[in-house]
Amino acid sequence: MISYSRDPHETIPSSAVKIVGLGGAGANMLERVALDSIEGAELLALNTDIRTLGSCLAKEKIQLGVNLTKGLGTGGDPELGQQAMLEAESKVREALKGQQIVFLCTGLGGGTGSGAAPIIARIAREEGAFVVVFATMPFFFEGRRRREQAETSLNQLAVLSNALVTFDNNRMGELVLAKQGIHEAFSAADKMISESIKAVIRLVVRPGLINVGLDDLMSALRTTRSRCLFGSGIAEGKDRASKALRNALSSPLLDQGSLLKDAQTVLVHLSGGESLTLFEIELLMQNLQKHVPEHAHVLFGAAIDPGMGDTLSITLISALPEDALTGGTRDSISQISKSIADLDSEKEDVPEIENPFSKIDKPQPPADEEAVAEESIPEAPEPIEETDIFAEESEPKHSSSRNLPEPRAKLNRSIGGGISSAPLFDTEAGEEPQPAPEPVLEQEESEERPFAEPEPVRKREEASPEPEPEAMIEEEEPVITDDVPSRFAARPELKTRRSGKNIWGKSEVKPADEAGDGPFKEDLPDPPAPTTQLKLGAKAPGSQSELAFDSAPRGRFEGENPNVFDGEDLDLPPFLRKKKS
Amino acid sequence: MARRTKIHVGLEIGTSKTCIVVGEVKPDGAVKILGIGVTKSVGVRKGEIADFPQVRACVKDALAKAEDASDVEIGSVFLAVTGSHLQGVNNRGTFRLPDNQKNILAEHLEEACDMARDVHYPQDHVPLHTIIRKYLVDGLEQTASPIGLFAKTVEADFHIVHGIGNRIQNSIKLVRECPLEVDDIVFAPIATAQMALDREQRLRGALLIDIGGGTTDYALYLDGAIAASGCIPVGGDHVTNDIHLVTGLPFSKAEKLKILEGNASADPSLSVGIAKLTDENGFADVEVKRAILNEVIRQRLEETLRLVRDRLPKGGVEAIGSGIFLTGGTSLTNGFSELAFDVFGRDIYRPESTESTDSAHPSFKDPQFATAIGLIRYAQILETENSRPPGCFGRLLRLFWPFGA
Repeated sequence: MISYSRDPHETIPSSAVKIVGLGGAGANMLERVALDSIEGAELLALNTDIRTLGSCLAKEKIQLGVNLTKGLGTGGDPELGQQAMLEAESKVREALKGQQIVFLCTGLGGGTGSGAAPIIARIAREEGAFVVVFATMPFFFEGRRRREQAETSLNQLAVLSNALVTFDNNRMGELVLAKQGIHEAFSAADKMISESIKAVIRLVVRPGLINVGLDDLMSALRTTRSRCLFGSGIAEGKDRASKALRNALSSPLLDQGSLLKDAQTVLVHLSGGESLTLFEIELLMQNLQKHVPEHAHVLFGAAIDPGMGDTLSITLISALPEDALTGGTRDSISQISKSIADLDSEKEDVPEIENPFSKIDKPQPPADEEAVAEESIPEAPEPIEETDIFAEESEPKHSSSRNLPEPRAKLNRSIGGGISSAPLFDTEAGEEPQPAPEPVLEQEESEERPFAEPEPVRKREEASPEPEPEAMIEEEEPVITDDVPSRFAARPELKTRRSGKNIWGKSEVKPADEAGDGPFKEDLPDPPAPTTQLKLGAKAPGSQSELAFDSAPRGRFEGENPNVFDGEDLDLPPFLRKKKS
Repeated sequence: MARRTKIHVGLEIGTSKTCIVVGEVKPDGAVKILGIGVTKSVGVRKGEIADFPQVRACVKDALAKAEDASDVEIGSVFLAVTGSHLQGVNNRGTFRLPDNQKNILAEHLEEACDMARDVHYPQDHVPLHTIIRKYLVDGLEQTASPIGLFAKTVEADFHIVHGIGNRIQNSIKLVRECPLEVDDIVFAPIATAQMALDREQRLRGALLIDIGGGTTDYALYLDGAIAASGCIPVGGDHVTNDIHLVTGLPFSKAEKLKILEGNASADPSLSVGIAKLTDENGFADVEVKRAILNEVIRQRLEETLRLVRDRLPKGGVEAIGSGIFLTGGTSLTNGFSELAFDVFGRDIYRPESTESTDSAHPSFKDPQFATAIGLIRYAQILETENSRPPGCFGRLLRLFWPFGA
């Protein structure tokens, strides 16, 4: 066999990767990274406090707010931090110019970190870099104010960054034994973050046998407003594949592997020495399959690094939409109402939608908007009036195809949610239809009951004599029952379908414009969470019809009175009884 | 006196099986089994009837099979009962002879017996058996009847088995509805002991443990007389349930594993590796670590045996001369003898486990039928002393003989 060595041609030159440490905590993380001697990236430290900046090991340092804070810290005030950042904006922009990947490490809650981080993220994005943010959240004992500051900043960061990995300080306890010193706890947290950074860098900087690049990384972290899940494990020796996977899954950032169950895309990167065998890879992937859902898109990459020797390292990166982590449905409702408020202002924009059935569609958008209002807020008295308006409007405009517009309009009522959210993006006048898909995603769940309305309507459509509308109706029949994308396919507005794709693309590049998008998209994963909770809730009351002495499962003797003999329930296995005692 | 061969039928309604054994008692005392009717029990939990119609159906089924096998029309049966409510206690009644009388007369003995039988029963309990164990004449033990001896005090030591009257009545009612007459009700281990223990063994001291599907019955014989008896509501089903709870396997698989692969001895060499259960139907094989399987089985059976041991009177175990006799379906567990030896430290006797016999000719030695066959023996003994001409001696013997010698 002719052997040939691959040139370790780096896809991304090391000069294009920058690790930025912001604030005190960021500086600590940076130190950790520097100590672990990372190759392929440059370090930059930013701070208002000149003392910590001075003692930092980074090559590049920029002091923020030279005149504002005069070398002191921000004192926990994010406002000051923000202004300090703005003062030094040009210098920071200079430093971030031409970077392809920027890792921003910061501790949120204080002044510099919380205030300056969103701005840095914005600057980095504007310079065209892929931004990965590693942020730590304050301890509970630091108080509510810091927590709120941290969360505000986090929300902004979530929108501005490509990937956001948060580490909650309260979980530091999971990293070390209880009796170890606090110094070790902090350094363990820092170490974990530096491992993560290293792993991501290794992933994109060095090519491997099976390549994963920035594009795969972006695809894995696709949903905006998502939280990044990260796990990395290293092991060596016998059985290293399983050990490494176990280490990776036990990472606190992965919540012991349970969060992977909801992931849609998982990026797996294996790296090992020359001794890496196919069998190990197979074994590892098989074990991994147990933890990810079946339909998840697994992006697999492998690299051989002779320098690794006998060790095998696995990196798992995935993203979950934010609400899957927090389960916040309340936010989305408030955002829906916000969109409704904007509806009226947007009526003019909607007619720009092209479609072959322009005659018919014209009145619909306003009708849709009203319809959306009706669907989303059933209690509001307005919708009633609006439907009247709707009826009035539709009548005069369609003399010929009368049955059609009504049923279609009513149909569109359910689909209308898509169009009605267009108002949110008044800045993009020509792009109304594009954001349409997302809100409907969110409307889908709230409209489960309204679907009952389209159904009887559907029957009327079927009876409609017009050939053209029939064709449309046929297309639309499946729409009601199918999920959202097909709904758009059925719509005569082909543009929306195309634009559907654009939206996904767009969301990668300009998340700032779709600030309102996020909440809608997030709604989609919400319903599964409540239903599972419901299921659990439903189970408990049913089974607890009488007070049981012992909740242990009793198998065959389920439901019988405890077989008490000399003070012990003989129906329970001694094997388990003795384990307890 | 020549006795015609009499046919007796024993019925045992157990947790895992209901069986009726038809036996013929030969003039010389030998028992010949004519036929056995066995059916799987449904509706019996821990030895007690939980679902009447189902149990009745089982009994009728077993009846039909037994009649078929033995070619005998069965009209009445001896019924074996068990259940945790049945307890055996020893009680002694002392009678001090009046001063003017020096010899023990029958009335005195009767008096002593009455006092002995006067046990405080828990609420709802009725006596099932009152068995004389021994007499004491001025403190000296006598096995034979002391009538005519000189004494100042005469004592009668009884072993009384009592249980909840209504439950026993219900069992009788169920059998009567079959329709079958009930000749007598016998506490299961006592019936089993008739068959499993011979006179010499009883004299030397023997403990019989019958571990069935739902209960563990025991009877201890010392010096030829019954010293303790009782029932612990733990049986083979509990072992299977334990396996099911610990490993998560379905019940049927747990049962199969228990029978085929389980081992109760703590032999470490047998607890290595994985026990596999292949399924003929083509479903996935079941695998369990042998260590866990054996540990679960052993802990359960060990606990059960310890419970039995704790129930025996003080010094009882040490007084066992001949050994422990194990019977019942669960006693067929591999390694059970070793476990029993670990708990009791005595010689262990087990009935040979028979290969799978077809139901038409179940082996007489199969430990599963020990109780039912024991009922026949009991019937025979009862028959024997009943057939004796009643008299002074006969009356006393009736009290004494079937249970002692």
